[in-house]
Amino acid sequence: MSSAGPAVHPNAPPPGPPSISCRSVCSGYLGTEVLRDVSFEISAPSVYVVLGPNGAGKTTLFRTLAGILSPSRGEVRIGGVPGDHQAARDRMHYLSHLDGLPEGFTVREALAFYARAERADDGDVERVLDKLEIRDLSSQFLGRLSAGQKKRVSIARVFLRERDIYLLDEPTANLDPKMAKEIRGLILELSRDKVVLYSSHNLYEAREVGRHVLVIKDGRLTLFDRIENLRSSKFRLGVRLLDASASLPGWDREGEYFLRELTGPEDVPPILEELVRRGIKLREAREMDNPLERIFE
Amino acid sequence: MAGPQAETAPQSFLGPTIRRSLRSGRMILAVGTGWTVILGVAIGLGSGSAFVSSFPLVLPIFGSMAAIGSLTVFTSDRTKGVLEYLMAYGVTPRRLFTNFLVASLVSISIVLVIAIGAGVGAYLAAGNPPSVALVVLLGGYALPMSYVSGAFSTTVGMYWSALSSPREGMNSPVGVAPFLGILPPVATLALIGVFGATVGITLEGFVLVTGTALGVVSVVVLFLLADIAHLLRRERLLSSA
Repeated sequence: MSSAGPAVHPNAPPPGPPSISCRSVCSGYLGTEVLRDVSFEISAPSVYVVLGPNGAGKTTLFRTLAGILSPSRGEVRIGGVPGDHQAARDRMHYLSHLDGLPEGFTVREALAFYARAERADDGDVERVLDKLEIRDLSSQFLGRLSAGQKKRVSIARVFLRERDIYLLDEPTANLDPKMAKEIRGLILELSRDKVVLYSSHNLYEAREVGRHVLVIKDGRLTLFDRIENLRSSKFRLGVRLLDASASLPGWDREGEYFLRELTGPEDVPPILEELVRRGIKLREAREMDNPLERIFE
Repeated sequence: MAGPQAETAPQSFLGPTIRRSLRSGRMILAVGTGWTVILGVAIGLGSGSAFVSSFPLVLPIFGSMAAIGSLTVFTSDRTKGVLEYLMAYGVTPRRLFTNFLVASLVSISIVLVIAIGAGVGAYLAAGNPPSVALVVLLGGYALPMSYVSGAFSTTVGMYWSALSSPREGMNSPVGVAPFLGILPPVATLALIGVFGATVGITLEGFVLVTGTALGVVSVVVLFLLADIAHLLRRERLLSSA
């Protein structure tokens, strides 16, 4: 009788739920603490947006979770094992804010270089060339690529092997709007069954992609919550009319939008119903302020 | 049935590092090899005794220059964040340094093989007899001194590069590396010269001075590699960008 069980893809991540546990972590560079007493637990697949001003410690957090920096105090555990163990590293993909592309290589050679480090194969290289739409760049030397093209190649590296935790430090920086949108799509796709930690300076992008937010200020975690639980200090509803020349008496105007300040999102449905009842044809209705902006106020 | 993935060390990247080092240092490799070949052939076709007494002594100076390729790649990888990625995969700083060091030794081997082949070929083609002194000087001085000097300039150069802020040009570790590489052979020859002028140089004295110099430099290189975890913090290998 055959003892073979269900086939397991060689590139599949190890079994067990993806989890990140950060307990009282202090970390930094050359004796200078950047992260101070950071604690959080992540165990559910989703996109977790890491926000904070420049120099707040976002990159240091990513480097510490990736096992590049060792915590001076506290503990990082990935999937239940210490973060600097190979078993923990094998569960994670880390995308630095730097491209990390080896000079003197063509795009295909660079991906093959990382495929080797990842124990992936040539087939995986070919797959990501198509996935990130960089096949036409495959024989070009990295030095000849634009910043955006390099970023795409760098992101392609992340898809060489399947992991269950993705640490993405500013993945859409330097990308054109079309490519940035595609990357956001890929990140959302990943987050169905994987943990994605993602940093960005674009609050609208963060709100579009993120489900949870971690805010770091002065090296401390000041907020960890679902984005939907965040409220703007004011809630402004903006509507755009189908007839651009029409007006909406009693509403303020900002560009193409007519604005009204409300107490909260629960006030939106009755107002929209009222507008429709009055026969006003709406093209768009949206919340004008991003609750994430409050974090930087 | 496949169980949980076993804990495995990251794949070796020695092969790609060697190829990149050769590619990056190809000009200096070509120039270094070219000069040694020209020098070897020119002296080899002339006086046999001049060849035996001078060719093995200049070989390490050109040989150690071949280490520049891997040092260039190391410095570039640090600045561009490649080392950061490799550390995220689990590659230790010691393994990083060892890989670049081996790549450097491979480049040195290329210069030595071509230069010795051309030089000794010219020496023999000129009708000079095979010489025991030549074999002793090549095997006992030129080859080990080339490798040890190259290892010294690569290792000290990598430390220097990691400990300093990224910069380019002649003041950078890459720019200064050739001078680091010629330090051991020049110091050894200077010591031999001093001994020769005071007590007179013998084969035993030559072997003693050379052996001591090789031993001291090797110990320095091995210490820098073995104790890297204490001597060099991991964050030194991260780009400051």
